[in-house]
Amino acid sequence: MTVVALLAVLIQALHTVGAIGPGFDSWRPVAIIVVLWFIAIDVMVYVDGGVKGQRLLFLLPALQITLALIIFPTLFGLIVAFTQWDLGGVSGPVFNGLDNFRKMASDGFFWNALGNNFKYVLVAVPLQYVIAFGVALLLNQGIRGQKFFRVAFLVPFMISPVAVGWMVGRSILDANRGVVPKGLDRIGLDRISFFDQPVPAFLGIIAMDSWVAVPFIMVLLLAGLQALPTEVFEAAQIDGASPWKRFWNITFPLMLPVSVTAIVLRVIFEFKLVDIVRVVTAGGPGGATDTLSLYIYREGVESSNVGYATAMAMVFLIVVLVSVTLLLIFAARKVRDVVY
Amino acid sequence: MIHRTRRQPVNRRAVLKAAAGAAAGFYAWGVPGKSYKRARAQDSAISQILAIPGAGLQPSEADMEKVGELCLRSTKKGAFAGQTVTFIGVNNVGAHNNIFRPLSRAWEEYTGATIQWIDVPQAEIFPKVQQGIATGEIEFDLVEGGAPWEGDLLGRGLGSAMPDWVKEQIEIDDYVRLLQAPVGTWDGVTYRISIDGDCHNFNYRNDYYTNADLAAEWAAAGGEGEWAPPTTWAQVQEHTKFLNGKQVDGMDAYGFLDVVKPGGGFSWYFYASRATAYAKHPDSPAWLFNPEDMTPYINNPAFARALQEMIDVIKLEPPDQTNADLLTTFYQFLGGTGAMCAHWGDVGSNVYTNDSSIVQDKVSFSILPGSADVYNNTSGAWDTVGEGQLNFAPNEAYIGWGLYVMQKAEERGVSEAAWDLAAHLGGKDISTWTVIYPSGFQPYRNSHFELEYWTNANYPAEYAESYLASQSDSYNHPNGAIEPRIPGIFDYYIAAEEEMSRAVSGQKSAQEALDAAAAKWEEITDRNGREEQIKLYRGSLGM
Repeated sequence: MTVVALLAVLIQALHTVGAIGPGFDSWRPVAIIVVLWFIAIDVMVYVDGGVKGQRLLFLLPALQITLALIIFPTLFGLIVAFTQWDLGGVSGPVFNGLDNFRKMASDGFFWNALGNNFKYVLVAVPLQYVIAFGVALLLNQGIRGQKFFRVAFLVPFMISPVAVGWMVGRSILDANRGVVPKGLDRIGLDRISFFDQPVPAFLGIIAMDSWVAVPFIMVLLLAGLQALPTEVFEAAQIDGASPWKRFWNITFPLMLPVSVTAIVLRVIFEFKLVDIVRVVTAGGPGGATDTLSLYIYREGVESSNVGYATAMAMVFLIVVLVSVTLLLIFAARKVRDVVY
Repeated sequence: MIHRTRRQPVNRRAVLKAAAGAAAGFYAWGVPGKSYKRARAQDSAISQILAIPGAGLQPSEADMEKVGELCLRSTKKGAFAGQTVTFIGVNNVGAHNNIFRPLSRAWEEYTGATIQWIDVPQAEIFPKVQQGIATGEIEFDLVEGGAPWEGDLLGRGLGSAMPDWVKEQIEIDDYVRLLQAPVGTWDGVTYRISIDGDCHNFNYRNDYYTNADLAAEWAAAGGEGEWAPPTTWAQVQEHTKFLNGKQVDGMDAYGFLDVVKPGGGFSWYFYASRATAYAKHPDSPAWLFNPEDMTPYINNPAFARALQEMIDVIKLEPPDQTNADLLTTFYQFLGGTGAMCAHWGDVGSNVYTNDSSIVQDKVSFSILPGSADVYNNTSGAWDTVGEGQLNFAPNEAYIGWGLYVMQKAEERGVSEAAWDLAAHLGGKDISTWTVIYPSGFQPYRNSHFELEYWTNANYPAEYAESYLASQSDSYNHPNGAIEPRIPGIFDYYIAAEEEMSRAVSGQKSAQEALDAAAAKWEEITDRNGREEQIKLYRGSLGM
């Protein structure tokens, strides 16, 4: 069964990228074979494995899902990245060596979008972190209506970014029908257009993205704040430490591990930013708000240029991995220096 | 005639057509339920359904269900019980799938079939269908698609050939010339039921051009000629500049409305409409590519001039116009913003029937503006058309939506049901209603140009005449810019609109952007197979 399943996957993968002729018209039969193979393995482990097998059964489905939905698509994507594959083309996928990567090196749209991604990370994440930390500190003070505010601050996080893009970007801030430009117009100010100039458009996207992201960071930080030991703060207060000193010398260092987690997650999300941009500006004006995820979407889905889009996605994966790894190394050193 | 008479007993049309007139009459007077069953024959079905919902009203879902019921011509009562037809179409608000659903309810009840609807945004429908084709996962039996897709759909043998009974039922000979073969056919076989025409016409606010104050200011400002609706793109430019900063009826006045925001290839059409008068030479049907070798024409001086003109006035258009997509511009114009726009004919059928419209009695139409000179790709020079003459080249943009039954429907055993549904939605009666009320479709049958239909639906005669003339003159223009039905055509458009938006935002010059677009077009041609593209391109232009 294992041989049959692996052969089926291999043959179909090679058939899809045009390396061999025989194969199925679609992946559906192969998927069925693989699912049956997984089930057979699970049953065998359960029947033959005894107690150890039964324990293994708790782990096996998760491993199989990871294999089927993460590892295999990534490996398949790696193959596709070295092909010229236009869904509209008559030839299907054709191996083209490093052509996609050479093209990427001279593709202005690619570099512009990647550069924007880094700008989003460098501008948006610190901004969101500072605001979220402030809000978390406020909500941790035992103010009146604390529970209400906690829920209220979470509401933007519960709203789909697409809806945020539409409600805020296309309805409230839209230059023609938005409430804000119309209101400004009524009080005698020129009708402002938030999205037809590169810098305002970029900042507008960051504002909307932050509206959704701040609650997420705030929740993480608030949970961290509530877990801090109260004795340390009491001792500092008795010693006469000012609120700022208590924050800077105790709260902030103790919160560093949680902060790093929140920042790393936000960096990853920021790299993947696509929904708000797509709804509000579609990457414009002139690519000022474009992101690599959106460019990959346009190239792969709208233009059907699957080979090139996959190559960009692979490079992007490496860029994100390297960036996050460097960030983690830097953060680990900082945490070690400050906390220990 | 005898043959037809013998067939009448099994044709539900024959029974219903007579009853429908009285039924719709009763309905229009407020008689609820299926009152048509007790109605007597009187006026034609078409005249009567056009009274639903009536003057100045946007049709409700119940209205559409009633229209669908009255237009039902299927003879397959209960024949498709238990069958499910999967239909993929566009989900624009108040149009396409959103009207097909209620219009098809009576058909589902009558035939026993169920329709599974797949709603897709307009900018994503082609990629979605294309992915289905490429991966072999064609999950739909019936697709609402554009003529430009035919290279992808029919060129790969994925369509189901239209049965003769369908041709007869939909009265296919009634299509305007533009939609007759080769459109909808491949290798001589007919596949498509047209449900739309499609061309860009020129929509303008006649109240701007009868405004005495504006006329006086125009004269005082030294404007060339009379203050009158523009007939050339040069005049469009001048009028747009002139209107900047002025007010009409208490609203900021704007001239032309461009569509710039990249939108799955659909923004291309608006740029193309600015370009056809310069780029489409009467001596050659080819205006996008050299038909000998598929070298793009998009970076020639004609396209560069059109793009430069767009760049020159974009800052004088409403705020944030660089983010305007085709629907933004559509609703801007209906909402009273802007004096002129090039658009599909939907504007004409929405001015009086769309709740968003405030421009009733203020709109007139013409074919797209022309140019005093046109670029000749053969000589590489600008040709002057002639003293006092202009080159007009209506943009036959998209050549209309159609319904295509897939081969897969045959494999799934639902092709007859799919064709019956398609024939219902593309029938003569129902189409007359859809082109007159908001639907996303514009006139495409010769019979749609009967002025009486429009006046029966309470369109002012003068308005309807202006609108229908703009459509008819565009469809039948000898120098119409025909869209090539070649595989991957939207890939070309997407590449072009990306570059175009860069130029409009000032990141590149017009020529730099178009040179980059031309390079991408070459690449797309190579990806699709140059020789095959040449063959199909020439074929689609009748060369």
